Amino acid sequence: MRERFLVGFDPFVLPFLLGMAFVLTYCIIGLIKVILQLSKADRRKLAVSLFKPANAWKNLRDMFCDCLIHVKLWKRNPKLGYMHSSIAFGWFMLIVFGHIETFIFVPKKAGLFYYPIFFRYFMEMENYNLRGSFFFFIMDFFLLVVLSGIVLAMYKRIRSRFFGMRRTTRLSITDRVGLYSLWAIFPLRWIAEGFTAGIAGGSFMTIPINLLLKNFMSNPENITVAWWLYSIALGTFMFALPFSRYMHIPAEILLIPMKNAGLKVYHPRKGFSLAQIYTCPSCGVCIDACPMSASRQNLKDTTVYLVRQIKRNNARRMNAMTDKCLMCGKCQEVCQIALQSYDIRMRIRERATYNVGLKYDYLDSYQPETGKCKVLYYAGCMSSLTPVTGRSIKKLLDTARINWTQMDAGGGVCCGRPLILAGRRNEAAALIEKNTAVIESSGAQILLVSCAICYRVFKEEYKLKGIKVMHYTEYFNELMEEGRLKLNRGELRYAYHDPCDLGRGCGIYDEPREALSRVGIIAPAEKERAMSVCCGGSVGSLTLDFESRAPITEASVQNMLFSNPDRIVTACPLCLKTFALYSPVKVVDFAEALCDGLEKKS
Amino acid sequence: MAKDNVIVIGGGPCGIEVSRNLRDLGYTPILLEQQSELGGHLRLWDRLFPEGVEARKILKDLTSDLKGVKWFTDVNIESIHKSRKGYTVNVDTGMSFETKALVVTTGFKLFPAERKQEYGYNIYERVITNADLEQYFHTRKDPRIQNPKTIGFVHCVGSRDEKACNRQCSKVCCATAVKQASEIKELFPDAIVYCFYMDLRLFGRSYEDMYLTAQKQYGVRFIRGRVSEVSEDIDGKLFVKAEDTLLGKPMKMKLDLLVLMTGILPGESTTQLSEMLKINVGEDGFFTPRDTILEPCRAKDAGLFMAGACTGPKTIPETLSEARATAIQVHKYLSR
Amino acid sequence: MIDFGYTLSKSGTLKIENLDDSRFKALHKLEPDAYKCINCGSCTASCSAGVFTELSLRKILLSLQRGDEKDYINQLQSCMLCGKCMLVCPRGINTRHLILSISKIYNTVDR
Repeated sequence: MRERFLVGFDPFVLPFLLGMAFVLTYCIIGLIKVILQLSKADRRKLAVSLFKPANAWKNLRDMFCDCLIHVKLWKRNPKLGYMHSSIAFGWFMLIVFGHIETFIFVPKKAGLFYYPIFFRYFMEMENYNLRGSFFFFIMDFFLLVVLSGIVLAMYKRIRSRFFGMRRTTRLSITDRVGLYSLWAIFPLRWIAEGFTAGIAGGSFMTIPINLLLKNFMSNPENITVAWWLYSIALGTFMFALPFSRYMHIPAEILLIPMKNAGLKVYHPRKGFSLAQIYTCPSCGVCIDACPMSASRQNLKDTTVYLVRQIKRNNARRMNAMTDKCLMCGKCQEVCQIALQSYDIRMRIRERATYNVGLKYDYLDSYQPETGKCKVLYYAGCMSSLTPVTGRSIKKLLDTARINWTQMDAGGGVCCGRPLILAGRRNEAAALIEKNTAVIESSGAQILLVSCAICYRVFKEEYKLKGIKVMHYTEYFNELMEEGRLKLNRGELRYAYHDPCDLGRGCGIYDEPREALSRVGIIAPAEKERAMSVCCGGSVGSLTLDFESRAPITEASVQNMLFSNPDRIVTACPLCLKTFALYSPVKVVDFAEALCDGLEKKS
Repeated sequence: MAKDNVIVIGGGPCGIEVSRNLRDLGYTPILLEQQSELGGHLRLWDRLFPEGVEARKILKDLTSDLKGVKWFTDVNIESIHKSRKGYTVNVDTGMSFETKALVVTTGFKLFPAERKQEYGYNIYERVITNADLEQYFHTRKDPRIQNPKTIGFVHCVGSRDEKACNRQCSKVCCATAVKQASEIKELFPDAIVYCFYMDLRLFGRSYEDMYLTAQKQYGVRFIRGRVSEVSEDIDGKLFVKAEDTLLGKPMKMKLDLLVLMTGILPGESTTQLSEMLKINVGEDGFFTPRDTILEPCRAKDAGLFMAGACTGPKTIPETLSEARATAIQVHKYLSR
Repeated sequence: MIDFGYTLSKSGTLKIENLDDSRFKALHKLEPDAYKCINCGSCTASCSAGVFTELSLRKILLSLQRGDEKDYINQLQSCMLCGKCMLVCPRGINTRHLILSISKIYNTVDR
């Protein structure tokens, strides 16, 4: 194998070269920008983690699994996974082997960016040998892999359901330019290499193309046209890349080390979150996952579109979309890049001004009598509207002979989470401080909480010295495990709903199920645990009104009815109230369900 | 004249009155009732506003003369087939009836009070419903009513409430509350009786007198404010939270008895038949007639009639008038 | 105004015809539920902050509707945004957003 041209250059490589130069410049500037936006502490954290061997290994592994193989998508749907990894991994291998070829055959040209890409144009085959045909085969093989991915990608645009997606993202104009040029690159490469296959050699993909139109193809005029088109497609893609979703390709390489360094989102569109925003590939998996998608009018407010508006810095839409969100965290759970949409939205909310001027100095007079007790029960604001919960908890605690007191029996101070969800973190501090003082002065060992919303804020924001915060699902399960609470098993089938703040928020999935399986039979929901569907009542949403929540709740109820349960069980007063609106099946609180096991004692 | 069959589904006061009038017009009404006795909700009520006539007396008068009416109790509708000739109704006892005209009088059901958990029905001991209280007026037996000193009536339980999935006013509960407040005051003259209302909607002739009597003679205290939540202390006394919206002050008061004025929802058979017969229903679940003003008793389909509370909440006199009107409409239809 | 040479003490009469409701209209645009209230008082009765203060969302909303932008609005500062009022409202008013919208438009910070 030898070079065809002494100069080793042809003007057709220019579109590609310019595009490449543009992308590299853009990415380097972007990289510097993101790094500069990080706080000093974060920068140090990132630097330290880069050099830790364990972390470095993790970074490499994540880059391989996430960027090239798309493991998360494989798990979601193998067809979707194959489509993405065939393009990403196939293309990557084409580049890698292109470079290896260049290194082996023309090492002095290895420094030229374009050489490995247009290798087949610049080379001429002298004689057939094993090494050469190995590369011919490999390159054609990966070209086939990529092409198969492209065919699937085209099919996905027509029928996304085939890939397990009901809806796909509506693409922006630059996304379309990127998409169509990406689709064009590989067929054009195939044709271009087919043209030169007679000269430079080829394998099972390119040779047949060459043979097919022998006379037409051996015309040198046509050869150059084909390679020009291939280069233009590449160039177009490169120029569109920074302004399209394909920015995720370079951005993810930055995001992975940042994530593994444990950075936190501190601003909606700076530093760590900027890296996340650009890593979003707009795949649209979050659209189907979003509980708001139960009504069409909300589709445009899902995370993928929020990311687009953040990129455009459209403050009005960013705020509107954020205020509408239920903050259930499901999009984050299904996201293949684990975009921290919850944190990003929180930062947007925290920056919104409402001119409320909240003042809680009136709380100084609040001194509830808790007495001294082992277990202090905090019911929360909403539980006074679901008296069955309180009554059932009382029954269970008294049956287990627990020394307990309710802290907010005569009206208490809100836990602070609704304020935090409205972006009023600083104001919430006053409530947290007050509650902390009351709880600590009670001398209790355990703070028992029956509301999933309260529980999350107690876990995340409160620092209670020597006091264990327990959700009643954890606590009662523990009591049963220890044999202090004995309940009888009945025949009722319970479908347990994972409240967002308890499940995805605090990772409590097993305890409630274990406890319930001691009093009855668990009837699984269609989607549960981390995939659970928000009930639609969430205080996380600021702007969704009562009517627009109805379809969300109805969809969530349907999800719960999957295996025809006798009861829907939930462990949050808000879910309880919300489900009760539209459920054809009786909706009960977790403690109420456990009490079914008390009654059968004879 | 050949005596045509007319099937009437629902043996409450409306169905009975339709049947009686159809018989008088020379037809053979076939009255089908799901329960074991005729009379519907009238059987469960003690006295009727505004004058306090005994419900049982009205029912007795209505049922005393059913000669010529073929009536069946304990009957469930299995299926109804529509043909060009009319309707074929199959029931679970194996019988099947043919008719050219079908009258639906399936009525209403009371809002299940336990669905408003914050009021504590079936959770707290001393919370009862308007239906429970009527039962008590008749039997004078209810363990929850033990010489109460303070009594509260909560209006609009399950009515005018998006959270109860019923936006509509149930129309008759305000008058019922005023009637029941006066009656309970008669039984317990020393008790203080409060009525918590959002708006008092007493619309009929001499209902205002009833209201005045409740104020003047019985000293019932009307508080303009909706009860938002109820809790219970260790002795079983109830704490009720409401805002006195006229004074603009929130109030928390202790009560011995709380009566929930449950609203009116379409009856289960109303819902069932709307599916079976494809009758249009409104957002509230009640049947939508062909024309709400000119033809309130006719469905879109020819030969299908409806009357009484299945087209919305009504008082007994309204229901009975509508029943008679429907009988004439059926007659006009059958003698075209 | 005709000068009679003396002034009467400030009367409590609301001058509805002089009402400037431009801000309330802006509020209604921001939160369409602003006109839906039937003044049942449920929000006030079950208010978590109402246990400690005079906060009455009903009163605030009604007074704003009547053009009174002074007397009650600063009560809003004690709200804990807990959302109980949203749960009890029979009209399904999105009270939390209503509260935030009121403060956005009428600015309750410096009162």
